[in-house]
Amino acid sequence: MLAVTFADLWFRARQFLIAVVGVGLVLALALGLSGLADGFHAEVASTVDSVGATSWVMAPSAHGRLTAFAAFPAAAAVAVGHEPGVQRASPVLFAPEQVVLVNGSTAPQTVNLMGVQPGGLGSPQVVSGRALAGRDQAVVDSKMHAQVGSVLELGGHPYEVVGVVDGRTMDGGVPIVYMPLVTVQRAVIGGRALITAVATTGTPAHVPAGLVVLTPSAVVTDTVTALGSAVTSIDNTRSLMWLIAAAIVASMLYVAALERKRDFAVLKALGSSSRSLFLSLVLEAVVVTLFAAVLAEVLSLFMGRLFAQPIDITSAARLVLPLVAVTVGVIASVSTLRRVTGADPATAFG
Amino acid sequence: MSEDLLVEDLTVAFDSGGYVIKPLDGLSFRAHDGELVVLLGPSGCGKTTLLSCLAGLLTPTRGQIEFGSIVVNELRGPALSEYRRHTVGVVFQAFNLIASLTARGNVVVPMRLAGSSRQAAKARANELLGRVGLDERRQHRPAQLSGGQQQRVAIARALVHDPPLLLADEPTAHLDHIQVEGILRLMRELASPGRIVVISTHDDRVSQLADRVIELAPNFSDADRLPEEVVLAAGEILFRQGERGELIYRVEAGQLEVYRELFDGGVELLSRTEPGSYVGELGPILNLPRSASVRASRDTVVTGYTVRAFRREHPHQVEEPASS
Repeated sequence: MLAVTFADLWFRARQFLIAVVGVGLVLALALGLSGLADGFHAEVASTVDSVGATSWVMAPSAHGRLTAFAAFPAAAAVAVGHEPGVQRASPVLFAPEQVVLVNGSTAPQTVNLMGVQPGGLGSPQVVSGRALAGRDQAVVDSKMHAQVGSVLELGGHPYEVVGVVDGRTMDGGVPIVYMPLVTVQRAVIGGRALITAVATTGTPAHVPAGLVVLTPSAVVTDTVTALGSAVTSIDNTRSLMWLIAAAIVASMLYVAALERKRDFAVLKALGSSSRSLFLSLVLEAVVVTLFAAVLAEVLSLFMGRLFAQPIDITSAARLVLPLVAVTVGVIASVSTLRRVTGADPATAFG
Repeated sequence: MSEDLLVEDLTVAFDSGGYVIKPLDGLSFRAHDGELVVLLGPSGCGKTTLLSCLAGLLTPTRGQIEFGSIVVNELRGPALSEYRRHTVGVVFQAFNLIASLTARGNVVVPMRLAGSSRQAAKARANELLGRVGLDERRQHRPAQLSGGQQQRVAIARALVHDPPLLLADEPTAHLDHIQVEGILRLMRELASPGRIVVISTHDDRVSQLADRVIELAPNFSDADRLPEEVVLAAGEILFRQGERGELIYRVEAGQLEVYRELFDGGVELLSRTEPGSYVGELGPILNLPRSASVRASRDTVVTGYTVRAFRREHPHQVEEPASS
């Protein structure tokens, strides 16, 4: 039956090509959505890792979310720094805000402000420009499309962009703007000496009352959990994509099965079983979906340009795709089961 | 292997919209090894139904088919598959080649299904295609072949296992006269010791080549003899639905009921005929089985006419049939 299967694929090459392209696009989108969902985790992990902390001290009401505004006195950073086992302790103030690029678009952009001590933990490593030093300076993520030397406005005050970092976003592509801690305190909380986290190297044995110690991975997990509904929506949409792919293959196979009704009757009359005929259709479906998976893998390389959010298509997602494709093919081929089993060999005479 | 083909009291009945249809009703015949058997009759007379039964693709309602020591109608499961694969070869009316496969691919398929190796199947296919004169057309798809060439491929496919029983359904139906000659010559050659060839056709010229002709629908239109009187007691049946008969009946006295036999065993009354009316015209005239049954509802006398006698004595009556 293999020869018949592949001959039929070749005979209906145009029909199958259309199905491969259609399913390939759908699978590529599904792969992109996987990347999008994983991207939420990847961007947070990348940002948290870039701080270089081995522990984070935060208010319990933040529930481990870096982006939650649960402030506590900055003096806690000093206390934590004096704890045995702690080599460095740097205060961090994290706050979402709106800024305007003076030389660029006048529309305000939502950013995540990250107040850090220049030279301390969390101080950004720029890819262009220079490190943060002065109070009226900012280092921004490249997603803001701000040039070194340009000016951004926050709360009516101008700040010079002195450096640019790459891949420092949160909340699905919202760029981080690094500023000196005191600057952020002045701009956001009226100059009060509050912070939202203390990043440390070394783990403090004790922390001031009302604070908790978290590992970086816990901070990442808890921060991403805040985006749970978005991730769930994306996952659901991705599942829908698998179903659409199955529907495309199923409709293509069903039409082919209708066209081959006489062939099935003849093959049965020649001694083929319903089982082997059905398996040949399953094989056709799997071949189509596997070709589509290859196309999807290629298309996914360009998928980043479609999404504003960072996408991170993991190796695992790429490896799983062929398995998903095979599953989709098998499910799709069920649509032909009745056509095959119902084919009456006696109708070959008719 | 020398095998006879024996068909005994073969009946196939099925439900058609609630009515009983019997394309075959009590058919019996015997064919000997090496014979070319022609099943002759018009469309709908049961030729294809008989071939389907002989091929093991249709189980008859009643009767028996024996081929040598094999009781075909009792085969089930693997034994039936084995019979289909190795004992019987079938040439379908519309060629029924797989459009996506080449001529050789079509011939290879049944061998691969039977477990032959690819190389052996290809070699055998090449041999058979050479035998039917298609050496040069092995790699052509059906759409690139003429009707005659497609039929030759179909014959080659039917011969892959060198079956002792070869069935061909209207093998000349879609061919021009030149192709017809070639195919019939080939079929004649194939009917040789070790093999019975059964051809169904509506073309009685083919019967000239046959060793045995099975007329599935005897032609009554040429029958001519004097009208005969038939006396029926109340409830007595004149003829049954599905039977073939040569007489048209005129009611002289009494009354007849025309009714249909239903598949569930019931009957459906169609009409009652009074003296001077006729029943059963269309069956003998058109060479069709009776489409309804007729019985006497009380003591009745009818006169039976052959088609010729009926036309002669009642030239206008055939235009207003009451029942076939």
